[in-house]
Amino acid sequence: MKFWAILKLSWKNVWRNPLRSTVVIMAVLLGTWAGIFSTALMSGLSMQYIKNQLDTSIAHLQIHHPKYQEENLPRYYIPNPDSLVDALQQYDFVQSVSPRTVVQGLASSTANSYGVTVKGIVTEMDTLVSDVHEYLKEGEGLAETSRNTVLIGDNLAKRLKLELRSRMVINFQDVEGNLTAGAFRVAGIFDTPNSVFDETHVFAKQEDLGRLLGRSHTIHEVALRVDDFKQADAYRDSLAQTSSLQIESWGDVSPSLRYTDSSLDFVLYIIMVIIAIALTFGIINTMLMAVLERTQELGMLMAIGVNRLRTFSMVMLETLFLTMVGVPFGMLLSWATIQWVSNVGIDLSAFAQGLEEYGMSTVVYPQLPEGYFLNIGLLMLVATLLAAVYPSIKALKLNPVQAIRKV
Amino acid sequence: MSIIQVRDVTKVYNKEQVPVHALNGVSLDIEEGEFTAIVGPSGSGKTTLLNIIGGLDEPTEGTVEIHDTKIFSMSESKLIDFRLHHIGFVFQAYNLIPVLTAKENIAFILQMQGRPQKECTHRSMELLKMVGLEDKVDKRPSELSGGQQQRVAVARALASKPDFVLADEPTANLDSASTANLLDMMLRLNEEESITFIFSTHDQRVVERARRVVTLVDGKVDTDEERTEKNIEH
Repeated sequence: MKFWAILKLSWKNVWRNPLRSTVVIMAVLLGTWAGIFSTALMSGLSMQYIKNQLDTSIAHLQIHHPKYQEENLPRYYIPNPDSLVDALQQYDFVQSVSPRTVVQGLASSTANSYGVTVKGIVTEMDTLVSDVHEYLKEGEGLAETSRNTVLIGDNLAKRLKLELRSRMVINFQDVEGNLTAGAFRVAGIFDTPNSVFDETHVFAKQEDLGRLLGRSHTIHEVALRVDDFKQADAYRDSLAQTSSLQIESWGDVSPSLRYTDSSLDFVLYIIMVIIAIALTFGIINTMLMAVLERTQELGMLMAIGVNRLRTFSMVMLETLFLTMVGVPFGMLLSWATIQWVSNVGIDLSAFAQGLEEYGMSTVVYPQLPEGYFLNIGLLMLVATLLAAVYPSIKALKLNPVQAIRKV
Repeated sequence: MSIIQVRDVTKVYNKEQVPVHALNGVSLDIEEGEFTAIVGPSGSGKTTLLNIIGGLDEPTEGTVEIHDTKIFSMSESKLIDFRLHHIGFVFQAYNLIPVLTAKENIAFILQMQGRPQKECTHRSMELLKMVGLEDKVDKRPSELSGGQQQRVAVARALASKPDFVLADEPTANLDSASTANLLDMMLRLNEEESITFIFSTHDQRVVERARRVVTLVDGKVDTDEERTEKNIEH
């Protein structure tokens, strides 16, 4: 009964000044919305960045000769690659496998030269691991019937002033360590979200590179796509038990990418905490005003026998009511916004150049990691309740005699 | 029978810097059923004495006993609870809760005492009838006149059937007609229900109708006059 009376009075107090309460509710609502949406936006940007890197260049796992990553020399190829590929395909978590020939070379045109990584692929297998083929903006890919054709990135094409069907020469070492070179015709130009990748990577048919290397079917890298890229480290450990080759997860290949992924949670919570702090000060201000303008009334309540705990509870409950209206609506609004924007995307093509230099897409699809929705809602709730503590303590410290006299 | 015993009460404000002696050794007994006015010039200590009797302010020296209980020996929470159950308060500025209706303002005290809802509603209605405001049950303070608000405040003070009611300048903000009505009502409650009223006032109209008039001057009891029916002006 006592609590019910305080609860009822608190609810009525909330609507004592409807405009002010509406402003606080809107602040909580927008704070919650901004927190959740900016988290989803940041998360979407980061996840797209990671996925772009994995789907175009790194894949989820890579297997090399133990010495290959140290020296990148063609002679460090994987022995018996076919049996390795067959063995890998037996694992449930392995979705696709692409054996690749990889050489470091110098690509030259009549206009210029540039250092590149040339990957010799079997198109049918590589398209299951890499999305590069989906980014072809000119040409039709590496045709089975044509010899010595390549796919190059649009940035390399610009640098070397190459067009579709232009000729270029690539110099590199063969497996014996001798210099070799091949003339290639541009069969396609791709434009991925990663401009650095587009400038430094060339795709050729595996058989063409094998011929130039002096050894057919020379495989330096086996790239894998697995069912869950977040489990890549565990899958690496599982594969490593049965192989003497160097098996690396995407995080091993690109520590910066691993850091981006692992620091994402931290960054997202930092954003949330900043928004929560801003919101907290707004609520402290409002509730403090609500307490100070009711000094006489609070003094009267204490005088007639409402104890300090109940006075404290009353102010806390008022804030809780404001929060309980603002937070759920903020969550609902952010859910609806994310649902909509995750389908249509946010077009950031105005910043395309900068974004592509960092390997980011120009259309961002916000997404909220699992559990964040509830966590953010709880964080906002806790922040607003903490914000109510100071005004409630202020109410608690009122001296009834002085408070009643205050006009 | 004394329900309140005030003994040698001294109250000094601002003790550390420039001490202000609000009360200087006041002793007073209040009997059950009294209708007592505490009068005196501004600064004589009327409100301070009422606050001390009501347990709102602690004396610097001296004791206050209510029904033989030394109220300032209690812990703060016990004293608050004591006020809730034993003392009714009426303030100069009415001090009703603006978001509650007349009935809810009265019921609030009873709810704080943990009484069942049915009893709260019944008692509130009974008290509103007693103060002649049965037609204003669902009106909020802002919809009532000053006199009506003060009647609700008196009803609220009586809600918990207190041992006595303390009223600090209850008529200070009222016009003559409202003052007369309020006094009639308080006197009727005093006579018919034997409710003890102690109030501070400047208002001569109130003083004239009090049964006992205690005059304070410079924080001391100057005169303490029992009034007979003959010299009470109706």
